[in-house]
Amino acid sequence: MSKVYEYDAVVIGAGHNGLCLAAYLGRAGLKTVIVERRHEEGGGVNTEEPVLPGFRHNLHAQYMEFFDVMPMIQDFKLEDLGLRTIMPEAQAGITFKDGRPPIVIHRPDLLEMTHKSIARYSRQDADMYVELKKRAMSIETLLAVNLYTPPVESGTVDQGEMTEAFFGDLGVTKNFVMKSPKAVIDELFETSELRALLYRATVEWGFPVDTACTGAAFLTFIMWTMGNWKLAKGGTHSLAKAMTQACYANGVDLLESSPVEKILLEGKRAVGVQLKDNTIIKANKLVASNADLKQTLLKMVGEENLSDTWRKRSKAFRYGPSHVLGTLAYCLYEAPDYKSAKHDPDINKCFYTMVGFEDEHDTIAYIRDAYDDRLPKPAAGTWVNSLWDSTQAPANRHSATGWYFLPKAGALSQQEWDEVRRSYNAEFYKVWGQYALNMTQANVIAEKIYTPDQMEKKNMMMEGDFSNGEFAPDQMGANRPFPEASQYRTEIEGLYLCGPSAYPGGGVHAACGTNAYKVISKDFDLLDSIVPSRGY
Amino acid sequence: MITQYDVIIIGAGHNGLTLGAYLARSGLSVVVLEARHEEGGGLSTEELTYPGFLHNVHANYHTFVDLAPPVSDLKIRDHGVQYVKPEVQMASIYPDNTALVIYDDIEKTAASFARFSQKDAETFLRLYKEAHGYVDLLLGTLMFEPPMSVKELTKALSVFKVGNRSQFLSVKLRKETINQFLDEHFENSKIKAHLAFHGAVCGYGNNIEGLAIGFPLLMGKINNWHLSIGGSHRLAHALWRDLANHGGVLITDARVDGIVVENKKAVGVKLQDGTELKANKCVVSTVSVEQTFLEFIDRKKSDDDLLEPEFVNKVQNEILHQSWSLFSVHLAMSQAPNYIASEFEPDVNKAWVVNLGYDSLEALNDDWDVIAKNGLPDPRPNVAVNSLYDPTDAPDGCYTGLIRQFAPYEIGSDGPAAWDEISGIYGQKCIDAWAKFAPNLAEDAILKWATYSPHDITVKLPNMVRGDWMMGQITLSNMLDQRPTSELGGYRTPIKDLYMAGSTQHPHGFITFGPAYNALSVIAEDLGIERWWREV
Amino acid sequence: MADIYTQEWYEEVKNAINNKVAGMKKLPEGTWQIAIEIVGDGVSPYVLQGQERHFLASIDQGTCLWYKEIDDDTEEQDQKIKLDYRFRGNASKFDEIAAGIMDPIDAALGGEIKVKGDMRFLLRQADQVQALLEAYSNDVSTDWPKGKPPY
Repeated sequence: MSKVYEYDAVVIGAGHNGLCLAAYLGRAGLKTVIVERRHEEGGGVNTEEPVLPGFRHNLHAQYMEFFDVMPMIQDFKLEDLGLRTIMPEAQAGITFKDGRPPIVIHRPDLLEMTHKSIARYSRQDADMYVELKKRAMSIETLLAVNLYTPPVESGTVDQGEMTEAFFGDLGVTKNFVMKSPKAVIDELFETSELRALLYRATVEWGFPVDTACTGAAFLTFIMWTMGNWKLAKGGTHSLAKAMTQACYANGVDLLESSPVEKILLEGKRAVGVQLKDNTIIKANKLVASNADLKQTLLKMVGEENLSDTWRKRSKAFRYGPSHVLGTLAYCLYEAPDYKSAKHDPDINKCFYTMVGFEDEHDTIAYIRDAYDDRLPKPAAGTWVNSLWDSTQAPANRHSATGWYFLPKAGALSQQEWDEVRRSYNAEFYKVWGQYALNMTQANVIAEKIYTPDQMEKKNMMMEGDFSNGEFAPDQMGANRPFPEASQYRTEIEGLYLCGPSAYPGGGVHAACGTNAYKVISKDFDLLDSIVPSRGY
Repeated sequence: MITQYDVIIIGAGHNGLTLGAYLARSGLSVVVLEARHEEGGGLSTEELTYPGFLHNVHANYHTFVDLAPPVSDLKIRDHGVQYVKPEVQMASIYPDNTALVIYDDIEKTAASFARFSQKDAETFLRLYKEAHGYVDLLLGTLMFEPPMSVKELTKALSVFKVGNRSQFLSVKLRKETINQFLDEHFENSKIKAHLAFHGAVCGYGNNIEGLAIGFPLLMGKINNWHLSIGGSHRLAHALWRDLANHGGVLITDARVDGIVVENKKAVGVKLQDGTELKANKCVVSTVSVEQTFLEFIDRKKSDDDLLEPEFVNKVQNEILHQSWSLFSVHLAMSQAPNYIASEFEPDVNKAWVVNLGYDSLEALNDDWDVIAKNGLPDPRPNVAVNSLYDPTDAPDGCYTGLIRQFAPYEIGSDGPAAWDEISGIYGQKCIDAWAKFAPNLAEDAILKWATYSPHDITVKLPNMVRGDWMMGQITLSNMLDQRPTSELGGYRTPIKDLYMAGSTQHPHGFITFGPAYNALSVIAEDLGIERWWREV
Repeated sequence: MADIYTQEWYEEVKNAINNKVAGMKKLPEGTWQIAIEIVGDGVSPYVLQGQERHFLASIDQGTCLWYKEIDDDTEEQDQKIKLDYRFRGNASKFDEIAAGIMDPIDAALGGEIKVKGDMRFLLRQADQVQALLEAYSNDVSTDWPKGKPPY
């Protein structure tokens, strides 16, 4: 006899978007349950001790750039529920083998330091960066409204005009939105070292640096968020903890180790879910899925229950290569001491440091390799969070985490991934040692790498794609995951999307969950989550 | 962040969370502070090998399910905890590949004993039935109440003439070792080895004088071992959920710098990040005695006698810790073990827990001698394959395995850090020892494994001083109201409004809920809280 | 002689207890409410299978103030009285105890009578408890209209 539970709302997946939606539903008085496949909540908002006890590593999400605008943090007072943050002064840096000056991007309140750093290479670039950053910050509210509102279809013409309106005097014209981010960066900045940094920052956000018609993203998202990064004290997962606690405090239940086998339908209406162990959870009002699009529609709903259009569109949805990452996790005796620090010691205290990119060509070659299913020459973006948060490593030790861009999970065979796990980190710290002399094998107590195939197994990030869906013009904005599904509703009545396959995509902004609630609250006449003074 | 609570609890292990949940249900504002990024303490489940393989890093066996009042008071099953009581609970496999099996069904167990000794089978059945009869009564008296003194107990036992009424329970047990008890009542050396091993795994060393007193109780619940579906950590989630459902707050990564004492009263806690939290009513520590009184109390600050020198001396020098610890190997496996002994007893392949290799009390004693000299015994581990009873703890078709081996905290004269060098080698030896009994494990059945040494225990959970997962040795002099010292035996401390409620207290470590439940009685008395939870 | 489980019988039990403790020193302070729940087990003719009889006793300073049967369906009343102890077991066992052929401590140790409440107090007052149990099982002359155990 299988168990039967009854709720108003069932949320599939306790990733941060699912937690966010569930908390709002609970607050609105709906009896809500989250069903989570894994034993742990948080999805990509994950912190573990995967290598050695006491050394913490964030296996997925690293820096938190939206904490100042994320509605849930304010609406549920997550700081009272344990969320604390640290914002290092030096935010993003790139360092070089020959010890030439690094470029260090500082916090927005320290723009003069950023200027000084870039000006070592080019005053023009320094002026441009600072001005673009100021512009982007001045429209932060607008950008936040845009992020936390279900997407509206806007033509490239509108976008172009808007972009020109804000950045026109800096030489940005309407046609910039037709460009690739690389083309935009190349036109605005002349320094190869800075380009190398900015390309990487762009792809890290998931925007394919080489793809036409995504250039506006550099001016808005990248310039807005660059250097606004916080680290969650204790590790990224502390956000998931606070969100879960908000759920509990609002009466939401969470069932762990409960993979959903199918979404139950009555005609064309979602009425609940069935778990792998045959438990039935009835949903009197709605089911919302934080799982990716294909799992939700093709597997849980079932192809046979979809219209031709929805079946075809779902099947055509693409994962990767734009946001396929591998995570390195090193346990260290000492934090890296970079050769470039002799010019600017801040590079040793950078929140995020790029290692292995000498110039723009290295970065581009690296990204193209990963996108084209080839294993790139090891290079990484790295974080040593224990520099700011002593709890992240044992006393007098450091824990370093980093991201590699790697081919899609399916691009390599199991044996090939096994080999990557055996050797890639070791290859990388040979590279690292060329940038920081103390990064020898003797400084590494132990290490591990999380590869895209494991990400897929762990969190169902298909192909290891952090965004659960490629960032490309036809899968972005009101086109995500496809136009008919862009408003979080599906053709199955009572079934909603609330994960990163929907707008705006991957990243720890909780916008998918927040926006899904906005749509659901209208459909069911629930408490409005828009705070007028905030604007969204 | 809220900086004022009625009650501040230090440590979010199962005792801290349990106490917090009861107090929150009683209407108090409660915060539970946890140094790590995860709640649960010993209730920890991590993917130490590969994604999808859930390894219980510490607690694996839940033996007080339905015996401990919090299981029902806090409705932990409603909070998603699912316990399974394996029908084949455990087995011992001997060097000659014969095997003895403990079933959920005690008559079947006796039949397995009878293959070794008919007389012992009958004795065991009598012992079980007798002990099972008074298990509730004894637990109610000896575990789930603040402790009485040995003297009081002895007197009561003699007034009620318990010695005359019971074949197994008598006042003289307090002078006997479990070995002596077994020699007195049983004849077969393998049976004795199994029962002694069972005691040792529960923390009751078989060669420690006086521990025979606890042995009948262990026998009364020998077939009450449960596993938590989806990992032991799920219980931590459930307790946390109950806490948060009732307005309590868990804050992870909150490291205590000190307990604030004013006028010899605990009035709050200062965190390492400088935050000060005020406690309107009391502060409760569930971590070690050493941390609480040597690290958290600033004895210098108070110019007079905040703590008596005699007490400080005791804490510094006389806290008794287990003289042995546990070395673990966590395994991701593609096959379940197929034992040679299954020819003798097919059910060993279905046993949740298997003890390997001890066929006499002497063999066990020999290893204690080796360990006492900080030596590494030839592995005779106990192993558990949770996947046999938990389909969610490994990917389909795979198994999660656990090896536990008695081991010293320090190795030779090299101290505990020597484990970091030797863990891999000793881990392989443990696997080899297992494979000797189950040859299929020597082939390609093991996909990956990770070790977890006594040193790792203390690094991860510093409250487990010297790898002491029992948080204080179980001995006659460290029992009941004398645990951990005479001053602290009643959950109150020399500092007013500061209580101890962790596993350092009566009854002891393990997932008993006892320390929290009993401290709750004392705190309720002091604070005048109505005891809604003790419905008679 | 009083029939078992009648008002008259409770009075006798009460008097027997009070006689027993009359000369004792160090009687415990305070008042204690004790429930006795006798569950029909198909063996005892005094409580039929599927039925339960509930009794309440009040002990003050070691002295039994009253001892009475309460209706099974007055659950409300049951809840208003804050119980200190609850003894629950099969009717045939309680009958055997009253008849003096079953030792109450044995019954508790054997798990046949379940005891709920603060055990420490019972152990600390072992002498008084022993006296009370003896009074119940040995000092009352009981009539067994439907047969005496083993019936």
